[in-house]
Amino acid sequence: MRNYILKRILKSFVSIFAVVSIIIVMIYTMIPSEKVFDNDAGAKKMKGDQLTTYKLKKLEELGYHDYVSKIDMCTATFGDGAQSCIDGDEAKLKEASDAYAASGYEILTLKSGEPYALHTYKWYELIARFYKRLLVIDNKNAIQDPEDPDMERKYYWGKNPENGSPALLCQGCTYKYQMWFDGSFPFIHQNKFKLDFGTSFPTNSGIPTMQVITDGQGSTKKINQTFDTGLNEESALIQTSCQYKVQVDHLDAKRFTDKYANCRSYHESPSMVNTSYILGLIALVIAYVMGLPLGMAMAAHKDKLLDKIGIAYINLLIAVPSLAFIFFMRSIGTLFNLPDKFPQLGFNDIRSYIMPVLILALLQTPSLMMWLRRYMIDQSNADYVKFARAKGLSQNEIFRKHILRNAIIPIVNGIPASIILCISGALITESAFAVPGMGKMLPDAIKQTNNNMVITLVFIFTSLSILSVLIGDLLMTVVDPRISLTAKGGE
Amino acid sequence: MSETNKNIILSVKDLEVKFKVRDRVLTAIRHISMDFEEGKVVAIVGESGSGKSVFTKTFTGMLEVNGEVTNGEIWFEGQDLAKIKKDSDWEKIRGKKIATVFQDPMTSLNPVKKIGDQISEVIIKHQGKSKAEAKKMAIEMMGKVGIKDPDLRYDEYPFMYSGGMRQRIVIAIALACRPKILICDEPTTALDVTIQAQIIRLIKDLSEEYGFTTIYITHDLGVVANVADIVAVMYAGQIIEYGKVDEIFYDSKHPYTWGLLSSLPQLGEKGEDLFAIRGTPPSLFEEVKGDAFAPRSNYAMKIDYVEEPPFFKVTDTHYAKTWLLDPRAPKVEPPAAVKELHERMLALTSKGGIYSER
Repeated sequence: MRNYILKRILKSFVSIFAVVSIIIVMIYTMIPSEKVFDNDAGAKKMKGDQLTTYKLKKLEELGYHDYVSKIDMCTATFGDGAQSCIDGDEAKLKEASDAYAASGYEILTLKSGEPYALHTYKWYELIARFYKRLLVIDNKNAIQDPEDPDMERKYYWGKNPENGSPALLCQGCTYKYQMWFDGSFPFIHQNKFKLDFGTSFPTNSGIPTMQVITDGQGSTKKINQTFDTGLNEESALIQTSCQYKVQVDHLDAKRFTDKYANCRSYHESPSMVNTSYILGLIALVIAYVMGLPLGMAMAAHKDKLLDKIGIAYINLLIAVPSLAFIFFMRSIGTLFNLPDKFPQLGFNDIRSYIMPVLILALLQTPSLMMWLRRYMIDQSNADYVKFARAKGLSQNEIFRKHILRNAIIPIVNGIPASIILCISGALITESAFAVPGMGKMLPDAIKQTNNNMVITLVFIFTSLSILSVLIGDLLMTVVDPRISLTAKGGE
Repeated sequence: MSETNKNIILSVKDLEVKFKVRDRVLTAIRHISMDFEEGKVVAIVGESGSGKSVFTKTFTGMLEVNGEVTNGEIWFEGQDLAKIKKDSDWEKIRGKKIATVFQDPMTSLNPVKKIGDQISEVIIKHQGKSKAEAKKMAIEMMGKVGIKDPDLRYDEYPFMYSGGMRQRIVIAIALACRPKILICDEPTTALDVTIQAQIIRLIKDLSEEYGFTTIYITHDLGVVANVADIVAVMYAGQIIEYGKVDEIFYDSKHPYTWGLLSSLPQLGEKGEDLFAIRGTPPSLFEEVKGDAFAPRSNYAMKIDYVEEPPFFKVTDTHYAKTWLLDPRAPKVEPPAAVKELHERMLALTSKGGIYSER
């Protein structure tokens, strides 16, 4: 069993690696890099060499290529004696560009005649660079501050300022709070390991993609908190998220005794991930609470009126395009004074959630009902059911104790996936209600050529899908004693 | 057929069962009357489709949804089972008073429920015992049917058991509530030969210990010869011959019984062509006129096509439904194979034969 799980995890990593690598190569080599600037307001204001260098720099930032300007070429080649090269010494500049050309760079010139070196990454370099950057492990030598070269570097125990529980702190790391506890999922939080997918561009330019997805939305929310200096004030800063800041201003000094003052903020509204998750999870629970008993009842009353009504309902919901269904339900919602757009009443009003959740739940019920009914009817023809009847069990007991146990097995397999993949949001429903969730993130990112965001989302969705399949399989061993997971297939 | 001085546990009178099959009506059981004596082992034999299973299913109300008892009575403990319509009433009979063992032990048990729970479930249901008591009784029962270390195996699942062991568990479940009647619907057909004998032995031993009446439905005349007290031969929804096992084997009167016995592969001799009854059974969708076997019989007379024969008494315990026993009928001799049956059977069941007890 343990070997099996280890093997599965290993295989999972290979799968994630393969999918993400393919996506990276596709994005960087098959989509013209020019498209990155289609939605970039900054690029629209520039022209000529300014635009060219802007693009070269931006693309370098995004990981397309390595761009070396004339000044950098000279500095790298001649060190302190680079000034004459920069100033236009033909011979020296030639020497510098030849050195770059020899190491695989292409020497190009701007319109002004100024040369620069460019190395466009090959597909394997792209993949290597992505994975090299991906996992960031914070350590106590992470911060090299020229103003404070001899800072004391250490890990120490302190308190979580939010609730006073113990927290692992660090001096010299990027993040001050390395590990802490609180009441929100997943209860143990850490800043030690971070995934770095680069920054978002052109939307949310410069903000790490992970932060775009997980940061709260809307205006910042101030809560009453006490800072290191003893200052007690209404502030939006999340102290556990604070990063080292080289230039501390007087406002920071008022709050912090150290230079960890670069903090994220509390927001009024949940992040995109959380928004989708809240909606999805509630809808999922409703779908299962409705779908499973209905499916069971249909199987129990096969060919009776209830079953026929159920089948009509299933057929209707499957036959009607979900978009039509969503808009139909939305207009019904407006009859009951429910908003037709989520932001009308916002996050803090329960009425905003009713219709999206209801629609998401209803859309999931037909397949749940259909499959459970079908599995149960399949099972009810089994010999063990005949024998259970011969044992003198009532129809009800046979259904509950025998048939359901067997019919639920394939359903259970899908539950972890349904729960985990709520994160990915529901594209159509969220769009129809303008819910600021994850659903439209991927299509939007693709439309805007927000490469890092696309890669981030692909990575997350792939990992979660694979994880949910694994959990689903593990869950099967719990509900079905015949299934045991072994690395070699049978012991 | 009935004898007043015997202890009759189940009495079937003029039973008729009809099935609705795609807007047509099939008469599966055509007016059977039969008494089952307490403590006896009754074997019901006949070819596929003769109605053996359907007949016994009426005792526990286990007919398929399209089937219905359209006539007759089934008297058991002062109650007419043919009148029971509600499942909740059947639950007081099924498993508790009349238990059934099915053909295929591999699929008779719920694959995802613990063996022990499947046994104690019946005890809790029918005897109202607590969980702990039921478990104790179930373990005891598992020991009775020959499961070693029953307390350890209580928590195992069916897939951990072999076919023979599963059938033992099925028997344990069937007998857990000390039923009055055990119906064994081809209990050994799906098992290999060595296990068959063990299971047959087990049922026989337990029936002696608990004193229940056993009804076997089987194709296996070896089983019949070994364990049955009484044999009923069924053809086209009717019992056509009925008697003690010796009477049926060595002094059968009905041409169909002769055919059935002659066509036993176990009794065939090397080099001889195996006998086969020609033709096919009549369609039960239409009303059968006269003797149902007449079109296939080598001994058919004119009357056989006109009027259904009544039961003729051969001895006090032996009856046959054929016009050949009418005093006006010509004397006919059964085929040679049937006459030699005694010797052949003896060879088979004596030491070293296929049906000798292993």
